[in-house]
Amino acid sequence: MIELYKFSIFGIVLTLIAFFGALALREKLKFVLFNPVLIASAAIILVLVLSDISFADYNKGGKYLSFFLSPAIVALGVLFFEKYKVIKHNMYPFIMAVCSGGIISILCVSILTIIMNAPEVIIKSIVPLSVTTPIAIEITKMTYGIPSITAGVVIAVGIFGNAIGPGFLKFVGIKSKTAIGTALGTAAHGIGTARAIEIGPLPGAYSGLAMCVNGVLTTLMAPHVVVWIISYVSSS
Amino acid sequence: MSKLSSQLLMLKGFLWIFIFLGLGELINYALDIPIPGNILGMLLIFIALKLNIIQLKTLKPASDLLLKYMVLFFVPYGVGLMSYYDFIESYWVILSVAAVFTTLITLYITAIIQQKMERHD
Repeated sequence: MIELYKFSIFGIVLTLIAFFGALALREKLKFVLFNPVLIASAAIILVLVLSDISFADYNKGGKYLSFFLSPAIVALGVLFFEKYKVIKHNMYPFIMAVCSGGIISILCVSILTIIMNAPEVIIKSIVPLSVTTPIAIEITKMTYGIPSITAGVVIAVGIFGNAIGPGFLKFVGIKSKTAIGTALGTAAHGIGTARAIEIGPLPGAYSGLAMCVNGVLTTLMAPHVVVWIISYVSSS
Repeated sequence: MSKLSSQLLMLKGFLWIFIFLGLGELINYALDIPIPGNILGMLLIFIALKLNIIQLKTLKPASDLLLKYMVLFFVPYGVGLMSYYDFIESYWVILSVAAVFTTLITLYITAIIQQKMERHD
């Protein structure tokens, strides 16, 4: 038998089937955990594990799809320009919210890893967990962590924020859709932004810009915080 | 608008988006700054639109299509988690506590500040 999974078309077709299947499922059953990224990823992992196919074989095709993430991030700039006039009068609260969120994220993850006595390599790898994967990986390279751990945690955070974020925020009394958008982009980067775009184009624009601002902010802050924690942990 | 001309516009939009992506990557490579090329491309395309170098209507069809399917492009990264199975198994408690609490607190702080301060008019 020809080993079909060795061809890149396998990963592409499998992903498309899983994704559009997951979309159709969510149309039928409106339940928060039925998030397309979560369901599609879980279904694909299940197929690969059951048929003993490696991630490397799957990603021969998968990488053609994830490649489009880069132009999609550039397209966020277009979306932001389109919504810029609507955001402009709220620029000050927006910047305040994103900067506070970004700083809280770095502090919170630092304090938690110190309390839980995490190994140094985890601290070095997960401090930038709120920002978009490509930026987080750059930060991890600067702090000498392991980029693949960063990628894993960052994606998990994104999926978690995407699936739980809007429900959680409504539960704690957030009514403003633009505030939900800003929060999703700050805490859950691109995967959160994808959810914000589903809520509406305006929350999507807030979210996309929040992701960008927090990415730059965290790049400037996180490496210094990591150095500080490591010296604190090793001196105590 | 005829079908052909709307398809050409879509193509033109994609071309511009990839030109700005390439510019961003080039600046990232040449200046060695720790901000990835796609984020730089996003900033550059915004500046170009603001300075009227390109028109919004040229870019909109292509960018709307990319944003509509943005979630799909993340699926292979989600599947990639399976490669870290052993590491996650050893440290899943620390990783999940740190990730869940940090995400919830960040979501709440960001949203509450924006909601309290923003103006609706």
